[in-house]
Amino acid sequence: MPRRALGAAQIRNLLPKRAQMKFDITQQESYSRSELLLRTFFGWLYIMVPHTLVLFFVGIWSSILHFISWWVILFTGRYPASFFEFHVKMLAWTMRLHAVTWNLVDGYPAIGTAGSHPAVTLEVPYPPSLSRAKLLLRAFVGVIYVSIPHGICLYVRMLATSVLNGLSWWYILFYGRIPKSWFQFNVGTLRWTLRLNLYMTNMTDDYPPFSGKPTPAAAETAVV
Amino acid sequence: MSEPIPLPQPHELPQREKDDALAAYLMNFAAWGAGLPIPSLNLVAAWVYFLINRRKSRFVAFHCFQACTSQIPTTVFNIIAVGTVIDYLLILNRDLPRFFWPYLGFAVVANLVYLGSSIYACVLAAKGRFHYFLVFGRWAYARYYGPNAVALEASAGPQNLPPAGF
Repeated sequence: MPRRALGAAQIRNLLPKRAQMKFDITQQESYSRSELLLRTFFGWLYIMVPHTLVLFFVGIWSSILHFISWWVILFTGRYPASFFEFHVKMLAWTMRLHAVTWNLVDGYPAIGTAGSHPAVTLEVPYPPSLSRAKLLLRAFVGVIYVSIPHGICLYVRMLATSVLNGLSWWYILFYGRIPKSWFQFNVGTLRWTLRLNLYMTNMTDDYPPFSGKPTPAAAETAVV
Repeated sequence: MSEPIPLPQPHELPQREKDDALAAYLMNFAAWGAGLPIPSLNLVAAWVYFLINRRKSRFVAFHCFQACTSQIPTTVFNIIAVGTVIDYLLILNRDLPRFFWPYLGFAVVANLVYLGSSIYACVLAAKGRFHYFLVFGRWAYARYYGPNAVALEASAGPQNLPPAGF
C-alpha cells in the first residue's frame, strides 16, 4: 500500500498539544453610568495614584526577578516556579487595572498580587522546561523578530482601541452597555500585549500570534 | 528546641526549594536587574527576598539568610567607596585622597572574592547542597538548624474569646 506524505497541519495535530495561556474578560450585561463618570473625573485620584505608586515599587522587584530568572533559565533550563507565580499574579493585576480603566468592567481593581476580579481571568501554564537557544535568541535579536513587527501592528491596533474606548464611553453613557464586537476587540488587544509580554519575559517559548483572538480550547492548562 | 535539626539531603528536597535557594545568591546582581547603580540595592533585594522566603522551608530560609548577611561587608566597602567619590568630587570639589586607590583595589578584590564564592554557593544550592561561608555560614546554620533554631511556623497570635461569664 503506497504511503502518503502527511501535511503540515496533520503533523501538527499528531504532536502533543502544549498548554496555552488563557485570558478573558466577562462582558457585563449593563454598565453603571455613575461609576463611568466617577472613573472619568476622579479615576486618576482613587485608581491611578494608588495603583501606580505600588506598581512602581513592585515593578522594580519584578524587573529584578526577571533579570535573575534569565540567568536561572540559562543554567537550568527552567523558570523558577515561585518567580513564575509572582509574575503571573502581577500580570493579572495589571490586566484587571486595564480592564477597569478601559471601562471594560465596573468595580474597583484590587491592589496587590493576591487580589482578583470576578470578571477577569488569567491562566498561564507553567512550562516544565524552556529552550536556552530561544532565550539567547530573544535576548540578542528579539527586538528584530518580535518587538519591531509586533510593535508596529500593536501601535496601529492601539490607535483603533483608543478610538473604540472613546466611542464605548459615549455608548455606555447613553445605552448603559458596550457593543460585543467593540468589547471583544479591546479584550483582544489586551490579550495580544499579554502574549507578547509572556514571550519577551521568557515565560513561554511559543511565539505570540499576530492576533488578539483567544487560543483554541484544545489544550489543557495547568493553572499555576 | 534543644537538639540540632537534621539536615535535608539533596534527594529529599523538591526542585522548587532548590530553585528558590539558588535565586537567593543571584540577588547579588539585583542592581543590574533594576538598572539602578546603588551599592546597597543588592543588600535590600536580598533582605526583601529573605523576608518573603523566611517561612517557606529551612533549606530556603538558610540560604536566603546566608546570602543576605554575607553581603553586609562588601556592601559597606562599596558604600564607603562610592561615598568617598561623591564627597570629594561632588561636594568638596577636591581631588580624591591618596588612600582611596589602595582602598578601591581592596574593595574590588573583596567584591570579586565574594562574587566567586556566591556563584559557588549558588551552584551547590541548585543541587540541594549546603555551603557554609566564613562566620555567616555558621550563623545561618545556628539560626535554622542549630540546637536553638528559630521556629518557622507562625505563632497562633491573639485568640478571640467570648465575653466574661459565658
